[in-house]
Amino acid sequence: MRAPLLVAAAGLVMLAGAPLAAHHSFAAEFDGSKPVTLKGTVTKMEWTNPHAWLHVDVKTPDGKVVGWMVEGGAPNALLRRGWNKNSLAPGTAIVVQGFRARDGSNRASGGDLTLPDGKKLFIGSTGTGAPGDTPGAAGKK
Amino acid sequence: MRTCHVAFMSLAIAASIAAAENNWTPPRTPDGQPDLQGIWTNYTSTPFEVPDKSDNPEFYAGDLDGTGRGTGPSAFLTDTAGRQLTKATSLVVDPPNGRVPIMPWAEETRNYRLAHIQDDWVNFTPWERCITRGVPGGIFPAGYGSGYQILQGRGYVAIVYEMIHEARIIPTDGRPHLGPSFRLWNGDSRGHWDGNTLVVDITGYNDKGTVATNIATQRVRAIPQSEALHVVERFTRVDENTINYDVVIEDPKVFTSSWKVAMPLHREPDYQIFEYACHEGNRAVPNTLSGGRAHDHSARVVTAQ
Repeated sequence: MRAPLLVAAAGLVMLAGAPLAAHHSFAAEFDGSKPVTLKGTVTKMEWTNPHAWLHVDVKTPDGKVVGWMVEGGAPNALLRRGWNKNSLAPGTAIVVQGFRARDGSNRASGGDLTLPDGKKLFIGSTGTGAPGDTPGAAGKK
Repeated sequence: MRTCHVAFMSLAIAASIAAAENNWTPPRTPDGQPDLQGIWTNYTSTPFEVPDKSDNPEFYAGDLDGTGRGTGPSAFLTDTAGRQLTKATSLVVDPPNGRVPIMPWAEETRNYRLAHIQDDWVNFTPWERCITRGVPGGIFPAGYGSGYQILQGRGYVAIVYEMIHEARIIPTDGRPHLGPSFRLWNGDSRGHWDGNTLVVDITGYNDKGTVATNIATQRVRAIPQSEALHVVERFTRVDENTINYDVVIEDPKVFTSSWKVAMPLHREPDYQIFEYACHEGNRAVPNTLSGGRAHDHSARVVTAQ
């Protein structure tokens, strides 16, 4: 019985010690204490490396339209997650959760994104150190 | 007990690797080299080092606030989902405790760089600056962008790295290393065949880079390299779908002894390597620096009040 127990113990270590992945750390650029939910219209999706950037027009309570930029994962990571270049056509109404940039500009690190039909996509980078940087957890602390 | 388990696992893995190497003959290229060609991936959820209670994974991942928030998800939520795992306790297999023997000054340098990343672009790792993930750092698992294509021609082996769109040209024709006046981010690779194993000897590094750049390497990320860095990689194809990769790293100015990483590369002929043009949208550097300036401004306002 000793060998199976050792194998099982090694398996637990593997699960607990799963490695992380990110081009850069979340906390240096974004503030995990400032979650933001943006409701707006897609104006452009930049499929750039090392991170994609989603541009969204957000209407403020006083009727003004403010442009926001939302950082996403690397294009190859998003592609393998099921995204393609048609996923977010300009004009699409979305709700996206994220965390605000530390410099106070209208930029955010993206997380869960909801389409008009209720379908959810995870646009963020995983393993950045962002709070809840896992699908379904963005915006939670 | 943990040391015993680590030693047991290391022995078991070594035994299984040796058995595999003895029972399988790799195919040959037309000019007689062992054939390593194809698309390979390095997915694994095995931690880089054996964890220790003295570790500060949030800080290694760049947590500036000391909030202790989680450092990220399980790798099952990255590209790794459903992929093969290694059976090892850590990717570092020597020293036997699975811990890289880093000199204190090098850890202090890493700590300064991570804590002051908002102050100066020189404190970013070469990966964040889109220069390179390094050699051997570029082959340490990052969790995504995990494809490697190996191509062989007479007198050369080439490795194309999906992350971050890098290519290594490794001469295997017996030519000597470049002279000591050449100092390169990724050093100067020279290969030769030891039986079925491709052995790559790398010297001629500059002192600007770092052996490991991504957060998955935790405590080793952002540890500086010196011009004395010497790396020896070994690529051994042990069956149709597996290359055993190991690398011995020595840098007497940075580490108290040499250390070794061992891990498999998995053949995935259907895997597509995507372009990763790292510079085209690398806003992380200016945005991080602007975040620091905003913090400085708010601190000045508070002081003035």
